[in-house]
Amino acid sequence: MKSLRRFLTRLFNSAARRQQEERLRDEIAEHIALQTDENLRAGLSLVEARRQAMLKFGGVEAMKQDYRAERGLLLIENLLGDLRNAARSISRMPGLAAVIIVSLAIGIGVNTTIFSWIQLILFEPMPAVSGAANFLLVEPRTETGGYPGASWPEYRDLQAQLPALRDVVAFQMVPFNVGESSKVERTHGQLVSGNYFSALGLQPAIGRFIRPEEAERPGTEPVVVISYDYWQTRFRGAPDAVGQKLRVNERDLIVIGVAPRDFQGTMVPLKFELWAPATLAPALLGGTRDLEDRSIRAFSLLGMLRPGATPEEAQAQFSTAMAQLARDYPEAGAGIGGEILTFWKAPRGPQRLLISGLAILQGVMLLLLLAVCGNTANLMLARGSTRQREMAVRVALGATRWRIVSLVLSENMLLALLGAGLGAAIAVWGTTALRVAPMIGAFPIQFQTRVDGLTLAFAMLLGAACGLIFSAAPAVHLARLDPQGGLRSSSNTPPRSRARKVLMGVEVGLAMVVLIAAALYLQSFRSARQADPRFRPEGVLLAAYDLTGRNPDAASEREFAARLLERLRSLPDVEAAAIATNVPLDLHGIPARSFTVQGRVRTEPGQDRAISNTVTPGYFKVMGIPLLEGNDFAGMRDKAAPAQAIVNEEFVRRYLDGADAIGRRLQARGGSFSIVGVARNSVYGAFGEPAQPAIYFSYRDRPQDQGEIHLRTRTGNETALTSEARAVLRDLDPMLPLYDVRTFSQHIERNLFLRRIPARMFAVLGPLLLGLAAIGIYAVVSYAVARRTREIGVRLAFGATSARVVLQIIRENLGAIACGTAIGWVLALVISLRVMAKGPLNLPVFLGVPAILLSVATLACWIPARTASQIDPIAALRHE
Amino acid sequence: MKQKTDVLQGTLALMVLKTLDVLGTQHGYGIARRIEQISGDLLAVNQGTLYPVLLKLEQEGAIASEWGASENNRRARFYRLTKEGRKQLQVETKDWEQTAAIIARFFEAKAEDLS
Repeated sequence: MKSLRRFLTRLFNSAARRQQEERLRDEIAEHIALQTDENLRAGLSLVEARRQAMLKFGGVEAMKQDYRAERGLLLIENLLGDLRNAARSISRMPGLAAVIIVSLAIGIGVNTTIFSWIQLILFEPMPAVSGAANFLLVEPRTETGGYPGASWPEYRDLQAQLPALRDVVAFQMVPFNVGESSKVERTHGQLVSGNYFSALGLQPAIGRFIRPEEAERPGTEPVVVISYDYWQTRFRGAPDAVGQKLRVNERDLIVIGVAPRDFQGTMVPLKFELWAPATLAPALLGGTRDLEDRSIRAFSLLGMLRPGATPEEAQAQFSTAMAQLARDYPEAGAGIGGEILTFWKAPRGPQRLLISGLAILQGVMLLLLLAVCGNTANLMLARGSTRQREMAVRVALGATRWRIVSLVLSENMLLALLGAGLGAAIAVWGTTALRVAPMIGAFPIQFQTRVDGLTLAFAMLLGAACGLIFSAAPAVHLARLDPQGGLRSSSNTPPRSRARKVLMGVEVGLAMVVLIAAALYLQSFRSARQADPRFRPEGVLLAAYDLTGRNPDAASEREFAARLLERLRSLPDVEAAAIATNVPLDLHGIPARSFTVQGRVRTEPGQDRAISNTVTPGYFKVMGIPLLEGNDFAGMRDKAAPAQAIVNEEFVRRYLDGADAIGRRLQARGGSFSIVGVARNSVYGAFGEPAQPAIYFSYRDRPQDQGEIHLRTRTGNETALTSEARAVLRDLDPMLPLYDVRTFSQHIERNLFLRRIPARMFAVLGPLLLGLAAIGIYAVVSYAVARRTREIGVRLAFGATSARVVLQIIRENLGAIACGTAIGWVLALVISLRVMAKGPLNLPVFLGVPAILLSVATLACWIPARTASQIDPIAALRHE
Repeated sequence: MKQKTDVLQGTLALMVLKTLDVLGTQHGYGIARRIEQISGDLLAVNQGTLYPVLLKLEQEGAIASEWGASENNRRARFYRLTKEGRKQLQVETKDWEQTAAIIARFFEAKAEDLS
């Protein structure tokens, strides 16, 4: 209590400092006057009386020091003083400060942005759901390690058998066609269990959520919850949206509520707009048997641990339950176990992939920040040396080592925190840019990255760490200063600082590593762009349709595709048309299937797998992939021909020893197919991939409810086909939207999007880093040269040519730089060998980057050296 | 060095409190004079060291101060004991007496007392 009171008073006193000083002065004057009077009365002369009084009082200054220390908070006052001092000395070097602050800000900003992204995925995977990171996925798992999802009856059984989890929810993603005839729009939604919203702990923005009883039995009230964005865009945020009808998959659903603002569903980063009770599945999906059939594993399950339960318990209960289900329902459940997964490890969705990519990116960016720190340390060290005298004077006057260190530290910390502040601003901008991610593939995706307390703390922490890192060298250097030496040595005898050179070398080495990484990445990206896909994407329009909502049978699917193709081919501008289930170079990849083929005996365990695509006749013509042997598939309406397959060259080479493939039998997808043709290899998953074996199946044999229409234009302008294609589809079925319409080139561009983000980052950061390194070298050399003006003057006066002087300066500094370059080069080599194991060494990069770096470094040395050598020797000798 | 001042400051604070208790309101010079008179030459400290102690006591709330006129009609700062200060004085007096008694007993103790 007493100490608190004392602290507060002192804090107050620190503020009201001047007044207190006056009080003390008055008191001292009064004291001495009284003592002088006393002495006068004792018979001393006036002068002597005053002298004695002052002697008796003692050292006024020492006492004032004590008094001051007693009065205020010395630590805080010193700190404030240091900060004022720091602000003054920073404002005296605006250029240098700007370079430091901006480079730190970029480093911290980029790191913070990436951190916010990682944080989003790891800690807040579901926007608007608090504690979302604690949710566990309850995933049935096949023996081969696949995650097939859970069926609705299975979900109902599991609910009672997982006491370690509370409120297990089920959801499945469904495409919805929303709207009236011929104005249909494709939207994504989720069919959810009745406890979905309550288990997630959500409150509706308006209206209410789905009640448990509404998802109990099929055929209940058709209700739907809409997303906040959907409410804003389609209903303009009107409160009377609740109660309105929404036409979804040709059913009238009643809007009962609006989800909270940022909620985007439980399959992040996919963004859903509608949520309907799972029991509406038969009504919305054309009489699907989702709710009864145990073999339709359409749902994902999610639950949170009960307080006190462990994930191990949940896992044990889940395994037991799944084993029981496998015994009870052998056809649907045999061989299916279960696994409890942390949310960010979701088998569906890109979280897993993103996390590893982001971790690498964060690593590279931290390295970059470290390089910035090295640079700053170097600049500060160079500047610190010019202040040796000042520091020596301070030490001589009694400043402790700690005071010197704190002086340097406060200056650097101020710079670092200014940088962190600006960096946070950059991060705010960066995260906002990330939020506006486009549609990737057919699904809307949103990353709700934001700068919150944690990210801000991260930025500030980075700033503080940077400040400490780049303060360390100058602070130690100055604190070790011997005051006598510091005072005596004038500026013309330069202390050779090894620390500066080491730092310069380290910085160059770091720049080397990052530049090589950037160059390798950019080159692989560019070569990917220029690589021949071995099919002709130019002039092809892609568009998707989806019959899921109709729950069609095979015959109607086949008939629909056949009629659609007939109509499309009759269009005057269409050269060729085909339908396929998969498009090469898709972000989500093309599935591979296991198979056996006649004439091939597999010796090693496991199964042969090949990429699989189901296509209509005419597909190879549209894609410009020549058939090397055999023929195209039989027509869509041919009922006589046996089931057919076409394989590619690589398939024949790898599995059939390159021998004749035509006529062989192939077993896959639970049927037998006869190989009728061999297609040329082409790219499937990514540019530059090694040749992959592939099997094409015929749409005739295996009709699908979804399809990607491929149209090759006759005119060269594929986008012109869009409206005609739409018209054709509308004619066939007015309630069916044509969606995801794009040219093949757009398709490729869009799927390179995710790879383009780091490519762009590297494209900006590479040169930036080079620039930073150059600035660092320039600063060090120009400082060192400036301190040797006198020496250079002497050399020139004795007849050295300026070229010689320049050469010597460059040689002195290039040693450290070359050392750093070499170490960085080896490091980059090791990393590249470990990360990109395959392929030959990329010589142009590994020779080109050091060449560029060394020439820039030489230039950065040359400019200050040149300036120094131009000096007039007389002026140089007079210098100081 | 520092420790010595600490001890000194502690005792000095007690002397100041006692002086104010006995004499009532007093200015800095008066307090210094009184301490000097009582302790004689035994306590030869600089009078200046008194002021930091006065400040500390004031900040702790043991004493209060205000401006007033001194005997030769000059502006002087007068200190007086607060209620809290009186309490503190009592506590510290007791503490001091106890400490002194313990120390005294130590000096009186002989080897045979301890065996």
